[in-house]
Amino acid sequence: MHTTTINPAPRLPRDVFLDEIFEAAQRNRDIYLLCADLGAKALDQFRGLLKNQFIHVGISEQNMMDLAAGLVQNGKIVYTYAMAPFVTMRCYEQIKVSLASMNLPTTIIGNGVGFSYDDSGPTHYATEDIACMRSLAGIEIVTPADTWSVFEIARLSHKKPALRYVRLDRAYLPDVYSDGDTRFLKDGIVEIEKGKDLCILACGCMLHSARKARANLKKLGHSIGVVDVFRLKPIDGEILRAVLAPYSKVVTLEEHFLSAGLGGAILEAMADAGIHKKVLRLGIQDHYYCENGGRAHIQRLAGIDLETITGKLRQFLAGRENRSDPGLRRS
Amino acid sequence: MPCRNGAPSQLPDRTTKNAMNIELLKEKSAWLRRELFEMVVRTRKGHFPSSSSCAEIVVALYYGGYLRHDPKAPRAADRDRLFISKGQAGMVLYPILADLGYVAKEELLKFARADGVFRLYPDPSIPGIEAITGSLGHGIGIAAGHALSAKRDGKKFRNFVILSDGECYEGSVWETALFAAHHGLNNLIVVIDRNGCCILDHTEKCLRLDPLDEKWKAFGWRVRAVNGHSYAEVTSALDEAVSGSTEQPLAIISHSVKGKGVSFMEDQPGWHNRMPDDAQIARARKDLSTNCIVN
Repeated sequence: MHTTTINPAPRLPRDVFLDEIFEAAQRNRDIYLLCADLGAKALDQFRGLLKNQFIHVGISEQNMMDLAAGLVQNGKIVYTYAMAPFVTMRCYEQIKVSLASMNLPTTIIGNGVGFSYDDSGPTHYATEDIACMRSLAGIEIVTPADTWSVFEIARLSHKKPALRYVRLDRAYLPDVYSDGDTRFLKDGIVEIEKGKDLCILACGCMLHSARKARANLKKLGHSIGVVDVFRLKPIDGEILRAVLAPYSKVVTLEEHFLSAGLGGAILEAMADAGIHKKVLRLGIQDHYYCENGGRAHIQRLAGIDLETITGKLRQFLAGRENRSDPGLRRS
Repeated sequence: MPCRNGAPSQLPDRTTKNAMNIELLKEKSAWLRRELFEMVVRTRKGHFPSSSSCAEIVVALYYGGYLRHDPKAPRAADRDRLFISKGQAGMVLYPILADLGYVAKEELLKFARADGVFRLYPDPSIPGIEAITGSLGHGIGIAAGHALSAKRDGKKFRNFVILSDGECYEGSVWETALFAAHHGLNNLIVVIDRNGCCILDHTEKCLRLDPLDEKWKAFGWRVRAVNGHSYAEVTSALDEAVSGSTEQPLAIISHSVKGKGVSFMEDQPGWHNRMPDDAQIARARKDLSTNCIVN
């Protein structure tokens, strides 16, 4: 059990994460936080009190990753922190060459996955980051869906450093787990709500959309399971088999393009483990949205708002044509 | 025998640098170029021209007493680090690493082979190699991470980087250049192998880099320009590098000749990774039988 008590509800994922590594960094002077010019409430105390361990690299993500490699080679426990699209795709080759190919344990903190930076447009959206990052060998990818899982992965990151990409939502996330429940660390994939008719696999903020869709469909008499895909890579095929065992239909739901995202990862894992079920993938249509009006509005345009999701689930339940929609945007 | 020309075993002492020491370094140059060329001929792989242009710098570092290292403890915490950021020239270190005992000399015969230790591009599984390089613009940033770590930990090791001039096209080089100057990383010494060639053309025809010295100065670096094939000049710049006389990182612009020592390859971008035919091999061996380094 924890000695630290946190109050999850009112705190942002990034603040929970940074607070935990600040606590650890006070005790361990080898913990370094590299930041490419992204603020956070919790960052202020780190940079104010641990000046020697905080490095503002400028808006230079490529250099940040190479520096991280050099620091890790000298025994440091290193975090690189920036907005999710920049800390992954802007410096993708540095992550591949300098970190992944040399097996250097480093925690890459991507803040604001999916449409988190809702009105900022495609430059600030991380809607391809899963696809990019999971193609790197030896990397672990996690998407905490609530504050407890943010806290636990932050703890693990300094206790057992690994090359790990932590995908943080920019928004507040309601609780999924409770203090001391660390099933997600062990199994990576956790059934949150039980059901019979089908189950929805989702991660991050979309796990909460899945729960809402479940509630909607419950009123119509459907029994829907909800599964948190906390760890996107690696996925344990046997755990996936056990989780999916009660279900004949599977839906994946993500705030990410359908190409090689969560749905792709699940399909690959199912194929590799010989799990044969009907699968419907729900995600962002293959289009960049230069629109304003808030996250819910962008999600509606992209086809992953609650109403659209619920409608597609009903069709799938009814056994009607249930193709995933990887393709063209309908005008 | 891989080292059939017999590398001189006596290492010159930097503190008593004199004409004799320069002679020893020059002998090493001739030996290194012959070794490099034969490695390429044996496997039909490798980059002789890129390696030859930076030969004097690495010979001076290892045999001139500038690099504090121990072949018996390649990962010793206080060792000086050398990063061949221009990874295509990683092979320039292999004969030296074999000569000094990091790796068995027989390994030179197995360069770029499945059963060998020395790979076409360097990676840290090879004793004496610090980082994987080959894509460009990474080694300098990794070295800056080492330099920063040394500064924060109060350690005295130095970090040398061999950068190619074409590598300066990579934006990440300049990200690191900004960073190193801001943080006063005077334990970071970057040698820019200014051979003026990239793969397709001469750099100034391809995309102008000059005035390169002014660019590094503007980024806050101390800059020295030297003839990269003159030990008198190279050692003078390295003396400054290790003197601790500046708060700035040091950029040594080493004006060099790509393919130095093989007449028909010199300053010819097309020879970047081209393989010579039998007649050319014979001609190159003749060229390399006399030392191209004069001082």
